[in-house]
Amino acid sequence: MTDGSRVLVALRVPVPAARAFTAFTDQIGQWWQPNGLFQFTDGRSGTLAFEPGVGGRLVETYADGSSFVVGEIRVWEPPRRLVLSWRHASFAADQETELHVRFDEVDDPGGTVPRTRVTVEHFGWDGIPPAHAARHGFPLATFQLRFAEWWRTLLRRLADASREP
Amino acid sequence: MFTSSVIYKDPKAALAWLEGAFGFEITMAIDGPPDAPEMCHYEMSCAGRGRIMVGAEWAEWVRVPAAVGGGNTQTVHVQLPGGLDEHCERARGAGAVIEAEPADQFYGDRTYRAIDPEGHHWTFSARVRDVTRAEAEAALGQPIMATHWQ
Repeated sequence: MTDGSRVLVALRVPVPAARAFTAFTDQIGQWWQPNGLFQFTDGRSGTLAFEPGVGGRLVETYADGSSFVVGEIRVWEPPRRLVLSWRHASFAADQETELHVRFDEVDDPGGTVPRTRVTVEHFGWDGIPPAHAARHGFPLATFQLRFAEWWRTLLRRLADASREP
Repeated sequence: MFTSSVIYKDPKAALAWLEGAFGFEITMAIDGPPDAPEMCHYEMSCAGRGRIMVGAEWAEWVRVPAAVGGGNTQTVHVQLPGGLDEHCERARGAGAVIEAEPADQFYGDRTYRAIDPEGHHWTFSARVRDVTRAEAEAALGQPIMATHWQ
């Protein structure tokens, strides 16, 4: 999957890697913000939650109690690394993308800048044709830029959530 | 907010070089599609602060210095929180050409200039002492108009 097209977004968050990993996984329901362009199921948005560990799932649950499985966890290595598959309800059975997340503590000699670099890499949007509903007809570069901007917004929200216990 | 976009023949190699030599970090990377790799988009920060974009020669009018006889029509000035001499040695070790060695300036900064492998000139600067505008004017021998310098 990592030979597919890549969208990378990285941001420093003001907490140690272990805290960043916990905020990313345990608290995804808090910092995740649905985006109309990138809904998992058409016209609906709900609350995300991780089932921890390899083989666990990322699930979106809706107000009516129904749910959608976004993906399955392929690598679960707290506090450093997380890999999961990622699909929308409109994907065909053989279509998927893959999300890789790294949590790298960074040198901070001054002590005034945040401590963990959270890097999100989303692979495989080139495998989803532009005409597909999830691509909205955007050329790959345009779609990926919109997608990256969305992830940047999400990581800023993650940074805020990570400061709270 | 201003953001400079710096152009490279090989932006992916440039990202790695800028990380190693100057300590920049990639904050956004969107590779171009296989049939149009020049349609890529990269952004970097300096240890989590600020932003530059790094791109390819994606149009006729976008050229690297080597393609125009080495000229730079704009340069990026990077303000560091400190550690200027160490930064310079790191850059030199990674293959930067140091065209001006670290030196104290009359306005209170210590600066050096470096040229990267594709011919971009970069200035790095760190405040080493506070200088009043009057002192700087005396050193320069002429008045200075500045909105944020007492």
